[in-house]
Amino acid sequence: MMRHRFLAPLLAAGLLACGAARAENTLTPLHFQSDGWRGSIDKAAAQRGFAVYQSVCASCHGMSGLHYRDLEGIGLTPEQVAGIAASIKLADGSAATPDSLFKPPGAVNMGGAVPPDLGAIVAQRPGGTRYVYEFLTGFGPAPDGMTLLPGHFYNRAFPGGQVSMPNVLRDNAVTYADGTKASAAQEAADVAEFLTWSSDPDLAERHIIGLRTVIFFALLAMVALAAKRRIWREEG
Amino acid sequence: MTTETKQGGPRAATPCLAGLCAGLMRRDLAPGAPWLSTLPVLLGAVLALLLASGMALAVFYDPRAAQASLRFIALEVPAGWIMRGYHVTGAGLGFVLLYVHLFRMLLTRGYRGPAAAGWMLWVTLLAALLLAGWLGFALNGGLGGYWSLIDAISASLALSGPAGGVAMWFFGGAPGDGTLARLLVFHAVLGVAAAGLLWLACAATRQARPAPAGRMVAFWPVYAAQAFAALALLALVFALLMCFAPHWGQGAQSQLPASSLAVPAAVSYPWYLTPLAGLTALFPGAGGHALAVIAAAAALYALPWLDRSGGGAPGGLYRALTWLLGLDVLGLGLSAVCPLAAGLQILLFVWFFIHFLVLTPAVTAMEAA
Repeated sequence: MMRHRFLAPLLAAGLLACGAARAENTLTPLHFQSDGWRGSIDKAAAQRGFAVYQSVCASCHGMSGLHYRDLEGIGLTPEQVAGIAASIKLADGSAATPDSLFKPPGAVNMGGAVPPDLGAIVAQRPGGTRYVYEFLTGFGPAPDGMTLLPGHFYNRAFPGGQVSMPNVLRDNAVTYADGTKASAAQEAADVAEFLTWSSDPDLAERHIIGLRTVIFFALLAMVALAAKRRIWREEG
Repeated sequence: MTTETKQGGPRAATPCLAGLCAGLMRRDLAPGAPWLSTLPVLLGAVLALLLASGMALAVFYDPRAAQASLRFIALEVPAGWIMRGYHVTGAGLGFVLLYVHLFRMLLTRGYRGPAAAGWMLWVTLLAALLLAGWLGFALNGGLGGYWSLIDAISASLALSGPAGGVAMWFFGGAPGDGTLARLLVFHAVLGVAAAGLLWLACAATRQARPAPAGRMVAFWPVYAAQAFAALALLALVFALLMCFAPHWGQGAQSQLPASSLAVPAAVSYPWYLTPLAGLTALFPGAGGHALAVIAAAAALYALPWLDRSGGGAPGGLYRALTWLLGLDVLGLGLSAVCPLAAGLQILLFVWFFIHFLVLTPAVTAMEAA
């Protein structure tokens, strides 16, 4: 995650100059628009989260299955997506296109641990979005009596408390063009929302379809039950 | 063309349709059947949905990529996530319907006498669907499915004799690139076979039904209305689960990618496989697992002959013990999710067989006396 920091200002400026996103305080109290049965993706937060992912996380973590064109799902225009893709150099030296898969990271070895792919990380971890946020903000000094393994860092959210990834988020790691203060906690929340989208791009559509379908079948069930009662009464 | 030919034309051209209509309108059913009697119809609808969504998924599924292939379907294929949702939710709900139906047959002694053939077909359907469900779990390409498959293949290859030959034929040898492709074929064949078994089981149950006396009703419109209302309620539950709890009951490891370097302490199964996993947990190795499964299946198949009742209505003690068996099966499933004390695990396992081999003959004979 620490590598390729030079990409951060370039990409963040390129992405967030488009800046349709408006900041909303989701940290106090901590909440995500994707939470709950009516949840949907906060596109502004997901756009900011993509900037953080691309600037800070992408050097170590892959995002399998996603194409750059899929970023239209978080509210970017095709022109913006094309601009972002063009700024990314693939392994063969050519520029990415909107139809390119997200650039895989180079071979990274974090003290013997391979950084996990983040494409579906929210679906893969108990607690999902909240876990990602808690993990990214969970670094700190190890409690008394805890001996860390060489090359490991204390993280209160990680099972076992020891992780080979260092704390990579810091205040102002990127500059948000929408004026949102890029605190480490804000960056963590934005990345968590972006990874929620990457894990489940159809979240909002699924909930909308679900609500309509449930209403339809609830009404249909009521009509069918009434019809059944009437037919059975008439048949004696 | 004469007038008679004109009037009889459509029926003469579609004798099957005419026969079907006549069958639906025939007054040969007893009135007042409970809602639970619609379970086979609902299961048929779910199986049809599973077959249709399975065919759609098979067009895009790549066994060499497994989970990446499913992510491709969800992300890139139009309505791919809906097809996958149909298949995953359908599998879970199908097992709910099947387990409840089998429990109802046990509770009402729907396996006795002429219904024995139907009962055995229902048990065969359960076996086929459990195997298809496990194959689907492996085809998902998740961490749990991967290690469950590796364990099964490794243990099976250690078998010798005819059992080893069957295992070799089924898995095609050591795990490799072609393993999931092979299992995909079995998964599809078992799905189609399950539909056939359901039809046969329903036909056998219908044949065994005693001729009703008194007033009769036709399927249309009396039971058609009931089945339609039940289908609407099922669709409501289906939509709720698929759209608001898409990962319901799939097991914690189903979303994690398969990895030969990440070995889970215990495989996390989908909920419908957990009773079977609980039954086999006490016996290590493929031989032990196979023995436990064969013993459980044999107990279920032999049930019509273990029941010594003369055909009367089930008594209170029998019904209480059947409810206890239901709790026992739930406990076995729970033991596969969170480890229980060894003594309790053994008790749950032993109780399953005591129920069929000891309590059922004894209690039914006592109640018949």
